[in-house]
Amino acid sequence: MLGQTGAAQVGSVTVKTTNHTGLSIEHWADRALERIIYVAPDSQSIMKDQAEAYRDQIRKVLTHFIAQAIKSDRTTLYNLFLQQGHRDMAEILRKL
Amino acid sequence: MAFSGDYMCDSFKLELLTAEHNFAAAGDSFKIALYDDTSTLDNTTTVYTPTGELAATGNYTTTGQALTNIDPAWGTVKALCDFVDEVFSNATFSAMGALIYNDTHASDAAVIVLDFVTLQTATAGDFTIQFPAAADATAIIRIA
Repeated sequence: MLGQTGAAQVGSVTVKTTNHTGLSIEHWADRALERIIYVAPDSQSIMKDQAEAYRDQIRKVLTHFIAQAIKSDRTTLYNLFLQQGHRDMAEILRKL
Repeated sequence: MAFSGDYMCDSFKLELLTAEHNFAAAGDSFKIALYDDTSTLDNTTTVYTPTGELAATGNYTTTGQALTNIDPAWGTVKALCDFVDEVFSNATFSAMGALIYNDTHASDAAVIVLDFVTLQTATAGDFTIQFPAAADATAIIRIA
C-alpha cells in the first residue's frame, strides 16, 4: 500500500551496577525470564494472568538451577585452588 | 551534559540500504564502547571514536566489549534487533553513555548512541548493560 508510514527507532538500555559484589541470582533469573516470556501490557486480562502465573513458575525453576550452577562452579574452583595449594582461598569459596 | 539522548546514527540508516550490517547471530561483530560526560556522540556520529571514551583502567578495555547478537526477528508490525545483556565484570569506573558500532565494518561504523541519563558507577562490581525486551514498543533497534 502506497503511503504506509515507517520508521527506524532506537530503544533505551538500562544500566545496573554493583559495588564490591556481583548481581544476584534473582536478577539473572528475571533477565532470563524477560527473554523467555514477554507479556504485552495490553494483553487480555485472562491471558495476562495465565502468562504471569507461568512466569512465576519459570522464575522458581531458573532461580533454583542458576544457584545449582553457581554451586557446581564453586566446587570446581574449590578443587582447583586446593590442588594448587591455596587451601585458604579454597575455604573462602566453600564458605560462600 | 554532553549526551543528549539515544540516537540511531544517520550514517547507519544509509548503510542499512547498502547492506553494510548483518545483525544475525552468526553475522557481524558489534561492540559497545563506554564514554564519559565529555563525549559529544549523537546522530551525526559516523564511526567509533576514542574521544571521550573511558580510559583503560578499572577493568575497562578501550574500544569496548563485543556484544552477542541475537537473530533479528519479526515482532507484530516491526522488524526487531536484540543483543544479550553485556556485563563489564569487576569494574571500577563511571560512564555517561555508550556507542554500539560494527567492529566487522572496515570503518568501525557507528550504529546507535546510548545515553545513560545519569552517571553510572560500579566499584569492584558488575557494570551491566541491559537491553530492552525485543518487542515492537521497546527493542533496541526497530524498523517499522
